[in-house]
Order: sequence, then C-alpha cells, then structure tokens
Amino acid sequence: MRRLSLLWLLLLAPAALADMDYHLQPRQIAEGTYLLEGSTENFARSNGGNIVNTGFIITDSGVVVIDTGPSHRYGEALRKAIAAVTDKPVIQVLLTHHHPDHVLGNQAFADVAIGALAGTTAQMRAHGDALAENLYRMVGDWMRGTETVLPTQVLQTGVLEIGGHPLRLLALAGHTGSDLTILDERTGVLFAGDLLFYQRALTTPDSPGLQVWLADLERLQALPWKLLVPGHGPLASDASPFEQTRDYLTWLDALLREGAVQGQDMNELIASPIPARFGSISLTRYELIRSVSHLYPAYERVRMARVDER
Amino acid sequence: MNRCRVAAWLVLLVCFDAFAIDPGKDPVPSVMWSFFQQKFLNGQPYVFDDKILVRAPPFAEDARQVPIEIDARAYQGQVVRILAWAELNPLPQIVDFEPLDRVQPWLSIRIRIEQATPLRAAALTRDGVWHIGSTTIEAAGGGCTAPSVVRTQPGWEEHLGEVLGARFPRGDYSRLRVQVSHPMDNGMVSGIPEFYLDQAQLTDASGTLLARLQLFPAVSENPTLSLDIQGAGETRLSLRDISGNPFSAVIP
Repeated sequence: MRRLSLLWLLLLAPAALADMDYHLQPRQIAEGTYLLEGSTENFARSNGGNIVNTGFIITDSGVVVIDTGPSHRYGEALRKAIAAVTDKPVIQVLLTHHHPDHVLGNQAFADVAIGALAGTTAQMRAHGDALAENLYRMVGDWMRGTETVLPTQVLQTGVLEIGGHPLRLLALAGHTGSDLTILDERTGVLFAGDLLFYQRALTTPDSPGLQVWLADLERLQALPWKLLVPGHGPLASDASPFEQTRDYLTWLDALLREGAVQGQDMNELIASPIPARFGSISLTRYELIRSVSHLYPAYERVRMARVDER
Repeated sequence: MNRCRVAAWLVLLVCFDAFAIDPGKDPVPSVMWSFFQQKFLNGQPYVFDDKILVRAPPFAEDARQVPIEIDARAYQGQVVRILAWAELNPLPQIVDFEPLDRVQPWLSIRIRIEQATPLRAAALTRDGVWHIGSTTIEAAGGGCTAPSVVRTQPGWEEHLGEVLGARFPRGDYSRLRVQVSHPMDNGMVSGIPEFYLDQAQLTDASGTLLARLQLFPAVSENPTLSLDIQGAGETRLSLRDISGNPFSAVIP
C-alpha cells in the first residue's frame, strides 16, 4: 500500500510541474489595448506570483508592453499570449517601477527596448537580486531560471509617440520613489502602476511618505483618463480606485500619526481595528503589519526630542 | 515509628514538590526549551503561563527591527525579574529586566532575529516561581548577520549615545519611550567586534532606583525601548556599553 502511494507521488510530481501554467488570458479593454489581470492574493505557490496587472497596446508600429510580470515563466507566457492576439512584433517594454512582480519577466523581452525611469533602474541594480530571491522563497519553482534583467533605455517624462498612440509618461514617487504612469491619449487608458491599488491593500514599505503618494494621486486624477488600470485589482471606468487608495492612505497616515502622539508601540498599532469600509480589500492586516514596520519609526521620531545630557 | 513518619513526610514532600512544579504544556513547539530552562532558570520551578503576554507580529517584516512587547501586569506588584530570549537566535538573550519601584512589569523593545523562532519571557514572582510567556514568529531571516545600518551613515560615531525620548501620559501611568543611537554590534558581522549597550538604569529625581536592565546583543541597533511608570516627575536613564562608555538622559 505504501509502495503504491509512493508510486502515485512519482506519477503526480511531474504532473504538478507540468501544471505550472499561468493561463494568461488577455482581455481587450480599449482599442488595441489588452489587460492581463492578476489575483488580489499574496504571493503564493498556488498563484506563481501572478498577483499583478500587466498590459499591452497594439500600435501601428508594433506592440508596447507595460510591465513584464513576476517571473521568466510569466514573461514567456505573456509573450505567447500577445502572439496569440497579434502578428505584430513587440517593440517596446515600459516598466512602471522596480518591484519584482512587475519586472522579473524581462528575460523574455531581452530582444526589445526595455524602458524605465532612471530611478527604477538604479533601484533594480541595488535591490533586484534580493527582491528576486524573496520571490523564489514565496512562490518556489515557478521562478526557476528567473534573473534580474536591467532596463536598456532611460525614459523621460512627456509624450512618447508610438505607432499612432501618444503615450503621456509621468514620473511620480509615492509608491517607491520612482513610479512611472502611462496615459494613452488616444484611448484614455491610464496605466497607473502601483500608485493605484483597488480591492487590494497598499504595499507601502518603499514609499518616501504617504503625503507624497497622496499628492501624486491628485496629479493623476486630474489627467484626462477614461479607464483606470491599477497595478493590482480590477479595472475601473470611474474614480473608485482613486477614492479607495486615497481613503486608505489617509486612514493609515492618521493611524500612525495618532499612534505616535499617544506613544503607542508597534505591536499596539499592528493590532488596530481596520475600518469596516475596507472589508472588501484583501490583505489589509498583512499590509498594515508591513506598513507599521517600515513607516512608523519616522512618525515616532517626530514625537520625541533629544533628552541626552551633553 | 519515627522512621515511618519521616518516610511518610518524604513521600508527601516529593508529591507536593511534583505538584508545585508541574509546568503544564508548552504552548509553542520548541526543541530548545529544556536547554534554556536549565541555562537561564537554573532548574528553579516554572509554569507555562498564558497570563504572561509576549506580543510580536506574526512575521518579521524587517528581521533587524522586530518589535516585541512583554506584559506581566497580571502579576503586578509580584514580579521581581523578567528574562526574555529568542530561542533559535545564535545570540538568544534579549533582556534581563528588574522593575523595582513604580515601574510596571511591562516592556517593549525591538530585536534582531536570525530565523523563525519561539520567543519567551520568563517572569519571576516573589514566591520563587518563573512564569513563562511564549509566542512564535515567522521570518525570512538574516537579522543578526545583516550589516549594520548605523555604520553606513557617515559620522555615526559623533551621534553615539544620543537619546531621543519622551513621556506619554496613559491614564493613571505614563509611558517613557527612548531611542538610543548605538550600533549594537553583536560580533556576528565579519570584521566588526562586539560593541553594544549592556547596562541601563532608571532613577527618579532623588536618585531612587526605579528599574534595572541588562541588554544583550539580540537588541536591535539604535535600541528602542518603552517602559510604563506610575507617577510624574523627572526620570534619569543611565546607560553603559561594553567598552565602558557612559551615557545618560533625562526625560522630563
């Protein structure tokens, strides 16, 4: 009997490997514009790290890809998914920021210009390998063979015209210090990167400050967009992702500020009640723990003074 | 007859003793408990006690700065000493804390952890029993062997021993919070010998000792510490590192 179950294991193991397929389904959201929507879960072996939104635009001169996903395997799958929709070649990759779920598919686009803000390339050079290692730990074998590939092109803000699509590029900072957003002025689709999260709690550890992020949202919302593609979470044609991201940031900022005024410790803050209105958002407690760990020290220092005897 | 009575007493004593030291069930899985129990508690009687709270996040987001909180206020007025350690750390000991006068048996501090580990706080009450609070924490690891952040800042030596601090009213007591500039080198980073704060004392304006702490190199760099204290008035914190540098601060 035991021998039999061992046999089963041997039979099942390659089957499990063979099933490591992202099943990417590009969904057309505007003229020539496709979205590959990831889940709002955390990184896990069950999702291979596909928790992220990527997209592509088919222009007259070729395909523009926005973010390459969490792994080499994802990048390859994305490329196949694009080829299933169009015969046009991929001619340009735009990376919204340096986080591993957005850039580790780069290997599959090594023959294409990979553009990013200068700050993003610097962050990938400094932290890329550590971030990739962390993903290996969280999603395992899906990552096999994945390596950091640095961008090959520095993007400037302004309008980048590609095959009849004027892409307005904005360099913002709220999520990582170097965040690119792309507004396609032809279709009105705004690829907001991780400055917008929707129904998924915000990842804040690399934020230069929640106030910076809030100011970025003002600038973004004022753009003439028709459709919003958040970095994580569902597509929207109204301002709900802006409202939710702003509401959550404002709450988090006030929680940390008020906690520091009262002299609270991190463990008290981590256990703070999460307002019922955020009930539909996934991973709020998990992200609160991360936010408190990274952001609270700056808040608490403001409420303390030099007391050493000099 | 006499011999009989002695024997009966002995049996009783043994039974009583066995009863008194029944520690209950260890609430966390641990391969190191008996080692630490002998090492730190010297074989003295102990109980696993869920009234001693050890709070930590479920996972270490930054393994170099993990906030832990130890709360033995269920035994307010009876606690003479609290020991804390992270069992699977290469340098497990965190703090040896004696709340003496007006200071509550409560403490929060940030520590380094090297891997997922049980965390323990042992509170010794006046009756000679150690009450063991426990929790566990997940971690990707590396907090103890990560290079110091302090040492990457130019001129850090000039800030050595600077103390940020404040007092926060919390109902009928107040919380003292301090952060001391110190690299807290634990000797595990190549080429950098041990250099950490190990002694701290809290006194009031008249010099009465309120609390005594011994710190160990599991404590994070730039140690961040909170203590709860009853009553108002100036409080002095005196610190010393293992190189003998004295530092002091007065929290109004």
